[in-house]
Amino acid sequence: MIQVKYFGVIAEAAQRDSESIPAEKVTLSKILSDLSSRHNLGEYNFQVALNRKIVSNFTEQELSDGDEIAFLPPFSGG
Amino acid sequence: MKKVFLEGAISPEFIADSIAKHQGKHSIGAHNIFLGQVRGDEVEGKKVESIDFTCYEEMANEKLHEIREAAFEKFDLTCMHIYHSLGNVKVGGICIFVFVSAPRRKQVYEATEWLVNQVKSEVPIFGKEIFENEESQWKVNS
Repeated sequence: MIQVKYFGVIAEAAQRDSESIPAEKVTLSKILSDLSSRHNLGEYNFQVALNRKIVSNFTEQELSDGDEIAFLPPFSGG
Repeated sequence: MKKVFLEGAISPEFIADSIAKHQGKHSIGAHNIFLGQVRGDEVEGKKVESIDFTCYEEMANEKLHEIREAAFEKFDLTCMHIYHSLGNVKVGGICIFVFVSAPRRKQVYEATEWLVNQVKSEVPIFGKEIFENEESQWKVNS
């Protein structure tokens, strides 16, 4: 399974903090576009982290069981 | 992993205790402290009453560890501490406390500013401003 986490305004929009999805030969870009349309995230500005690292180029990134993806809106600590 | 996140506002007593704990470290000649306080901004006639902070804690702790390592590489520091609130902090409460100590003063000014900027731009923390009328908006760092 792939763990997906949502934060801040994205968690509100998706109406959840996390979910698990099956990991079967799936790329990061495919998962992101599926989740983005399922939860209507198109209008939001966010970065994506894979296993707690920000991903800058994820077109062909393949995922495997146990990976953790996070949808991160702009940071606003401090 | 050093503990950074504290529930609720950071109390003046906690800050005073942190200073006291360094009095036995005699190579230190300069401390510098940054305290961020929740500001009662007014947006379209509504006043901010508090901020609710959440974070991606596992990633935030990894990032803070990297920032700490980089700070020791970049500046000649004796020690440094970063604390940030989670949960609700009312207007006037302290939500970030950065404490830098070094033999001499030049390094602590530069390191403090660098560290605060890093925490704001690189650490996945999210603030939601709660207004007096219970409406809210997600905070945007300027």
